Amino acid sequence: MIKIPHILNRRNRVLLKELTKTDFKLRYQGSVLGYLWALLRPLLMFAILYVVFTKLLRIGGDIPHYPVYLLCGTSLWSFFSECTSQGIQAIVNRGDLIRKIDFPKYIVVVSATFTAVINMLINLVVVIIFALLNGITPSFSWLLIIPALLELYFLSLGISFLLGSINVKYRDVTSIWDVFMQALFYAVPIIYPISMVAATSEIAAKIILLNPIAQAIQDVRFNLITNETITTWNYLDNILYAFIPVIITVVLLAAGSFFFRKKSKFFAEEV
Amino acid sequence: MSKRPTGTRIKINDPNAPAISVKNLHKSFRLPTEQAFGLKQTIFNRLRGIKGYKEQKVLKGLDFEINQGDFIGIVGRNGSGKSTLLKILAGIYSPEKGTITVNGSLVPFIELGVGFNPELTGRENVYLNGALLGFSNEEMNKMYDDIWEFAELKDFQDQKLKNYSSGMQVRLAFSIAIRARGDILLLDEVLAVGDAAFQQKCEDYFSSLKNNKQTVILVTHSMDNVEKFCNRAILIENGEIVESGEPHKVAKAYLKMLNQ
Repeated sequence: MIKIPHILNRRNRVLLKELTKTDFKLRYQGSVLGYLWALLRPLLMFAILYVVFTKLLRIGGDIPHYPVYLLCGTSLWSFFSECTSQGIQAIVNRGDLIRKIDFPKYIVVVSATFTAVINMLINLVVVIIFALLNGITPSFSWLLIIPALLELYFLSLGISFLLGSINVKYRDVTSIWDVFMQALFYAVPIIYPISMVAATSEIAAKIILLNPIAQAIQDVRFNLITNETITTWNYLDNILYAFIPVIITVVLLAAGSFFFRKKSKFFAEEV
Repeated sequence: MSKRPTGTRIKINDPNAPAISVKNLHKSFRLPTEQAFGLKQTIFNRLRGIKGYKEQKVLKGLDFEINQGDFIGIVGRNGSGKSTLLKILAGIYSPEKGTITVNGSLVPFIELGVGFNPELTGRENVYLNGALLGFSNEEMNKMYDDIWEFAELKDFQDQKLKNYSSGMQVRLAFSIAIRARGDILLLDEVLAVGDAAFQQKCEDYFSSLKNNKQTVILVTHSMDNVEKFCNRAILIENGEIVESGEPHKVAKAYLKMLNQ
């Protein structure tokens, strides 16, 4: 399949870096506050969530540090959403390059998702700052969020490769994905606590937790904010079922890369 | 999506072999027919058994070799298939049938200033374009001042590219491009732009390539350039080679074809 030295060779590394830099610069081009927006957005988001959910709605009453818990979820969701939408459109957006120069096409997709990764890391810093302000004590379990974040990233990448290849020919994919994401947002316990679902139907909660996005977000919340979080690992009785989200991620990434590699030969003609 | 056949593109590194050899190269494009855009029509067409595209043969079995040190001109009318050939040699399109063997590193210039973005500054564009041409950061740092010196645009480095005139953009792009080093250079009509002074610089660059025995493949409409720089030429018409060899002979055949 893809040879490792090829992925890491000097030319591709330089290209990846330059394209990512360009994407990031262009994102905040022409705004007065520039890069500050990357930091300002999650801060303002938190302010809104804080007011709505602690003063008005009080949905997550029994979960400690609920606003931070909420911010953590929305940040990760934005990451997934930004990553996939940028990734799916990457080939089409960079059509000008692909038509004129020969280089490994996955670089375009990866560089498009890296902007989302940078934003997510900035958001994460904000989440951690609020966690500390809320009196959560730092611990080594915080390091356990890394595999969950990687899983979420690889899932996004797999989807980007798979749908991005189809999107070259059928641009409908972009619109379909937008609508699908709207539906998916409510299928993942982000603005509502999963315990609310579990109270009415245990089986529904279990199915929700088989979604890799839900699993990753709950894992991060568990390790970062409160170990009262319901996760795929502590809620499913059969530990074998708990591996389903990971398997979905691995399969999507493998299938996506394979399909992308096969289709990428014709991107220059079709884009 | 029925399976599309693909030929092979081989990379070798052999100082004694020809720079490029092309055997029985075919290429056709699938042009979507009018109603075939979008998912809905595709599904309908599939159900009705309509292909939804028209196959257009662009290259019909090309055979040729380019030796090391050759300065070869590829000429032909618009739509004859010469740009497609160049894109296949560059690895941008994949061959449909046949074999292409590329010996050593190949640097294509299908267009000057690939990746230039009007919203970025001159400096940022230079680094981006350099990365696309395969330069490392250290190499770029080293040649950075020379690029601006040669383009005569030193005072504009930190201006956004959208504030450059089109002539200035071309000068900057050319100034980066000529620094590219590869065993084989592919040039597609990149020099049909710019004012007289710029044209002179291009000619000097060509002469230096010729004197250095650089292998160059030049796609052009200018028979003057073919006769001045090339030691061999190929005339393509309707996806087939109709004349090749002596530049003078090929240029004559081309002009005769145009006048028919």
